[in-house]
Parts: sequence; C-alpha cells; structure tokens
Amino acid sequence: MNTRRFRRSWTFVLLGLVLIALTVAPLGAQDALPRNETLYVGGFQWGPPSTFNPLTSGVAWPNALNNYIYEALFGFNVATGALDPILAKDLSFTDDTTAVITLQDGTKWQDGTPLTPDDVVYTYELAKTHEDLQYVVFWDYVNSMTATGDRTVEVKLNPDRLNPGIVKFYLGRQMILPKHIWQAREGGDTSLSQVVDMEPLGSGPYKLLDYSIERVALERDDSYWGIPVFGTPAPKYIVHPIFNSNDEGNLALQRGELDVSQQFAPQIWQMWENNSLPVGTWYKEEPYYVPGNIPLLHINIHKPGLDNVLVRRALAYSINYPQIAATAMSRYSAPAQSSLILPTGGEAKFFNADQVAELGWEYNPDKAKEILETELGATKGSDGIYVLPDGTRLGPYTAMATFGWTDWLTAIEIMAQNATEAGIEVNTEFPEFPVINARRNNGDFDMLIWTHSGASPSSPWQRFRDALDDRGVPAFGEQAFWNWGRFSHPDVPALLDQAAATTDEATQKELFSQLDKIFLENIPEIPLMYRPLEFYEYNETYWTGFPNESNPVAPPQQQQAGVELLYIIKPK
Amino acid sequence: MTAIPQEQTGGQMFMAGLKRTRNTMSLLNPRFMFGLVLLGFLLFFGIFGPFIFNKTDPMKFVGMLYDPPSATAWLGTDNFGRDVFTQLMFGIRTSLMIGIIAGTVATLIGVLIGTVAGYTGGMVEEVLMALTNIVITIPSIVILILLSIAFKTRSLLVMGIIIGVTTWPWTARAVRAQTSSLRTREHVDVARLSGTPTLGLIFWEIIPYMLSYIVMAFVLQLNSGILQEAALSMLGLGIDKGISLGIMLQWALLWESVRTGAWWAFIPPTLLLTLIAFSLLLLQSSIDEIFNPRLRRS
Repeated sequence: MNTRRFRRSWTFVLLGLVLIALTVAPLGAQDALPRNETLYVGGFQWGPPSTFNPLTSGVAWPNALNNYIYEALFGFNVATGALDPILAKDLSFTDDTTAVITLQDGTKWQDGTPLTPDDVVYTYELAKTHEDLQYVVFWDYVNSMTATGDRTVEVKLNPDRLNPGIVKFYLGRQMILPKHIWQAREGGDTSLSQVVDMEPLGSGPYKLLDYSIERVALERDDSYWGIPVFGTPAPKYIVHPIFNSNDEGNLALQRGELDVSQQFAPQIWQMWENNSLPVGTWYKEEPYYVPGNIPLLHINIHKPGLDNVLVRRALAYSINYPQIAATAMSRYSAPAQSSLILPTGGEAKFFNADQVAELGWEYNPDKAKEILETELGATKGSDGIYVLPDGTRLGPYTAMATFGWTDWLTAIEIMAQNATEAGIEVNTEFPEFPVINARRNNGDFDMLIWTHSGASPSSPWQRFRDALDDRGVPAFGEQAFWNWGRFSHPDVPALLDQAAATTDEATQKELFSQLDKIFLENIPEIPLMYRPLEFYEYNETYWTGFPNESNPVAPPQQQQAGVELLYIIKPK
Repeated sequence: MTAIPQEQTGGQMFMAGLKRTRNTMSLLNPRFMFGLVLLGFLLFFGIFGPFIFNKTDPMKFVGMLYDPPSATAWLGTDNFGRDVFTQLMFGIRTSLMIGIIAGTVATLIGVLIGTVAGYTGGMVEEVLMALTNIVITIPSIVILILLSIAFKTRSLLVMGIIIGVTTWPWTARAVRAQTSSLRTREHVDVARLSGTPTLGLIFWEIIPYMLSYIVMAFVLQLNSGILQEAALSMLGLGIDKGISLGIMLQWALLWESVRTGAWWAFIPPTLLLTLIAFSLLLLQSSIDEIFNPRLRRS
C-alpha cells in the first residue's frame, strides 16, 4: 500500500516537472515565425548584438550598410556601379562644386515624424563636431551642406580638394539619423559612436522585432513611407541567425534554413550540380560571383633585389594566377589581370584591355627565366636561386598573410612556391592580425597580401590613390594608411588630382589609363585574384525570384542597393 | 667490521625483471605483436614511404581544389591542390616527432618532480605537489593555447616542448606515490647509510625500480602528445612550416571538406591518428601486463 502511494506521488511529481518544463521553457525561446513570411539571411553577424547604433564601427546587423531599419540617401549598386535612390531620388551637379540632393516625397521616421532635409544636414554635420565618427573625412572634401527647400539639400564641394567620387561614396553609405532623437544624445558623457542603442528608430521598411545570442529578427513596418514609391517588401520578417562559423552557415544554406547568404562557401556549385538543390549564385558558371575587390601582393620596393623593377616583373610572370583562382578562391575568381582596375562591373568602362595586353603580365615561368637570365644577367646558384650581377641574391624574402584568413593564406603559399621555383626565394609567415597590421603600416615587410578599397562610387580612383600616391605617406617606421610599400612617382599626384576632379567619363578613362600605365611599368604591387564585395548565394526552397545574371533586376548584394532584392522575391 | 651485504643494483633488478618476463611475453604475443607491427608499419610508411613511392615534396601542387583520387594523386588533393597521400607520410613523421619530444619532456619533468618530492618528503614534497596540483587543475589546453600564441615561431621542437611542459603532472603524481613506498625499502636505507648522495640514490636506487612504470608513462605521454598536437593544429596553432596530421585536418575543416564530400581530405589523417593512438595504447597495456603480473589473463 505504501509502495503504491509512493509510486503515485512520484508520478505526480514527474507530471508536475513536465508541466513546468512545458510552460516555462518557451518563455525563454523566441517565437517561431511563419516560414513563408520570413526571409532567413546570413553572413553579417557573428556574435550576440551589442548595439544597433549605426555610428558604432562594430554595429550589429542590419545597421552597418543594410538599408532595413535606417536608410542612407542612396545605395551603391555593385552590378552597375551607380548610386540607386533610397531616401533621395536624385543627385545632380549644377556646377563643378555644387551638388543638389532631392529627397523622395513623404519621407518619415518610424514614429511618424517627417524626415526632412534638416535631418540629412544634421547627420552629416555631426561629423564636423564629433571626431570619433567614421565619416569625419567627408568634410575634407565638402565645405558646406545646406537645406535649401522642403525636399532639397545643397552640397558645396571643397574646390581645393575637388573629388565628387569621394563625396558620392559617403552619400551612398551614411545612414541618416533622426535629429529629434539624436540631438538629446549629443550632450551626454558618452561619445556618439559609443552610445549603446538597443531600440533603433529609423526610417526604413523594417523595425527590430527581437534579438538574442541566437538571432536578430526584424518585422516589416506596414506604415513605411516608401510603400508608394517602391511597393511593399515581400518578407514580413527578416531573421539573421547567428552562427559560430562559416561552415555552420553554409550547411544552413544547403539545408534551406538560410534563404540568402553572404559567406565564402567553397565549391558552391556542388550544391546544384551534385546535390540538385535549388541554390544559386549570380553567375551559373565560373566565377559565380561579381568581382568587387582585388587582393594584391604588396612589395617593399626598397629591399635589395626587390628594388629592381625587372626582378618584380620576373616575379609577376612566375605567379600561377589560374591556380590561385582555382584553389585559393575556389574558382570564384578569374585569373587576375595586371591592372588596378576591375575588368568587370562598374569599373569595366575604365579598363584598358589593350594597354594591359601590351604592358602587363600573366603566368609564364619561361618569361620569368628569360627576364632574369637575359635582361638582368642573373646567374642561378646551385640552390636554384638567382644572384644578380652585383652579387645580390634574390631572397630569402618573407611573404606574409593574416593568420586565419584562409583564401589569402592559400594564395600566398602558392605565390611563394611559384617564386621559389622560378629562382626568387620566398618564405611565408602568417602573423596574427594586429601584428601584420602594424608591420604593414610601418613598411616592415618584404611582401604581403592585402586589398585596397573595393568597388564604390569613388573607385578605381581610391585604389590608385592607395597604391601610388606618396602624399601624406610617412617614412618607413611610421604608420602609413596607404601606399605601404612607399612607392613614389613624380607624375602620380597631378594625374590623381585631375582624375578626382573630373566627372567626364572619357577624361577619367584617359587619366586612369595613364595611372595604370605607371602601375604596369613600375609594378609596386601585383594583383593576385578577385574577390566579390559581398558573397551572394541563395536557396529557393521557400522564396523564389532571386536576382541573378539572367534576372538582373537587383544587384548581387544585401547591403546598400541590395535592399531592392526584398521587393523582387516571392514566397513559394 | 663486516661489509654490508650489497643488494642488486637497480639496473640488475630491471634486467632480472626482464628475464623473468621474457617467458611471459610469448603469452602476450598477439596483442603486443599486433601493436608493435602496426606501429612499425606506420613508422615505416612515414620514414621510408616518400622514397619508396618517390613522393618527396608534400607541398608540391599536383592538382586543383579537392581533386578526387586519381592515378597521379592516389588519395586525391587537398584544398591547395597538394597530394594527400604524400602529406600523410610526412604528417606521420611530424606527429611522431612532436609526440616523442613532448613525451620525453613530460616524462622527464614528471619523473624529476615526482621522485624528488616522494623521496625528500616534508616541505619540498608539499611545495612540489602543490605546484603539481595547481597545474592539474588548470585545463592544459588553455595553457597550450596561450603558450602557442606567445611564441613567434612554432617549430617542431617548440611545439613538442610546449606540449611537454603542460602534460607532466599526472606522471609526477604517480611517480611520487611509487617513490614514497620505495624509499622505505631496505636497499635504499643501505645505500643511504653507505653515503650515496640524494640524487644518486634517486637515480640508482629508486628510478630503476619503477622503470617499467616510467616506460609506460612515456608511451602514454607520447600518445597524448600526438593527440594534443592534432588538437592545437586543428585550432590553427600547429607548426608554422611543414605538414602534420593535425594541420591536414585543420585545412580540411576550414575548407569544409565534410560538406563538399571530399572524404579523402579528412578520413585518412583521422584514420592514421586513430591507428597511431591505438597501436601505442595496445603496446602500453601489453607492457603493463608484462610488468604487472596481477593484470595477466589466465
């Protein structure tokens, strides 16, 4: 009898525990959102969000460059190279130094307050008085910004540093902030970039729904001002699950748990070729992604041996660019061409293919040998390494890549092996990021792999500046922020200034060709491969109509002009 | 004055022990021999394989990203387009070398601290054992990671030493316990009375009596050294030049060989690591049986 009572009470206890578990546990978990109304995205957020303040450099998704909660005036379109309208509908230059921005009609904040030119001027002028803001450089190129009407803002460019490209760069990037909220935050002890904002209020089509260590979720704002202009974005919810690593995210894409992703996924084509999954990228064939940046081999042109341009040319011929493209970039890059201009996308119009063919290089070890032996008169030692007639041995040099950046590590390994086989001894070293960053800036390296700025409204100008301009670049041992190899050429500054000031495409092309010629003749850096600005892959299990090469209705990106994707896709 | 009858020295004891167990070894043959042959085969593959198969450069590019097995690359290629088969041979070498260095360092430190603590007793023992207990409580992988990051270059030797200096405490503890019981033996007293200095006593009268145990500890440390190297390499903290089984696994992980179905990139190195560990454990347990009659099966 006692035993039975004990059993019964034990059963009750167990039942009670189960009930508690069933009622309490879901309180901790987030709502499961209807799958056919939710777009799952990935590749931007790698830890729990700490702030949604768009002025903070490590801001949580989506507030860095996705125009979902906050919006910028324009969105850079990586496919066309143009600035697509967002908050503003037009940008026009009335003369060389005056730009007029016209805002869309009916713009308002998510709390119903109208968004006016005053908010735009306020946002940009913050960087005049707050030096901690990233866009402080904007005011080097701009003299004033004034609200000239109910919908218009006039921007007066600095005639001494005329550079419409850089100005456009910032107009297409800076999220506009509500003055009525941010004004109150200005006077506090905390600098604006350090303000922790967990309840962002923007002007965009989505509001923050919830966030946790596992996800950030957004909900559509059905009173969005842009509905009459752009229509209604298809997903009611957008969720960014937070993964620990790339492979977790890629597996989620493969399983259809992610709809669109911005991650490096090796051998992505296997998903549709071998597994027959409804996965796609921009191009159905190689290189699958739209190139947006150029990782380059930076050379310290002041080291004995490497100071000889013919040695650098031989090095350039020795590198197996197709192998780098096929392995380090998993076939996501065409073999790199010898130019600082991207041969595709928005920069293609400036790419001078004839000049590259005439003065450039490609993988050709025989040609490297010919340069070393015939043109330089170098002799090969018994160890397989060449010695110049003046006794300089070509190596050992050290080529560096950042530890953990797998595609770059792979590229530099291949480069070093190619060079050594060609008779220029190159070893590799993979320091941690802070180490390589400091050594790069101080010029304390023989060779290293790094990029300059990617495709943007101011490219390729910014890339030429970064690679060739010696103005503002201190001597070796001091921190330089561009031109780490300390290249110098008398014609570069004037050409750069002319290229920056002009808006005429033909003149720009001519000037960029001249700059590229200086690059080709002096070889301070060697392009190793191409990389997309954003990786872009989608799975059409739940949503269809994603843009791609044959359906180019929106660019292959989620950030900046990538917001256009939300209006195109449809639930299955 | 009559001379104190001299007992057998430690070395003689050990040899006698070996003689006694020689017959027993034949009883243990299957397991011992299997472990030995397996390890021997792996060693042979690592040391002579490159010459036999004429594949002497594990870094040479022979194909593209994860090419499947073919006539040129018998076990396919890795993410760099390098031959996996060649890398396996060189990987075994590196892993074993690091294991041997780590095992030696850990055993030496463990035996030194254990015997000194166990023999001297008192304050010295307290301090040394406190140190050992502190090191035991800190997860060795944390110290390993910190040490690996602290070194600018991580050569084979550096890696071996780093692993060795974090894995000695268990040996030290066990050796101390053995020493504590050994120091009360008569032959130790006799040697002490005859004026042998402490270190000499430890070296000649204590250590030889537990040499069997030390050999087993070394085999275990060797095994753990190899596995620790693989763990560190998989975190990207392996040797900075050359290839090891752990580094092969690290790249296979980074380049998502599991998702992309490139089994040849992760199964062979995993299998070899398992085989090495398995053969060493077989050897260790069979040696244990030889020296410890109570473990023998009828």
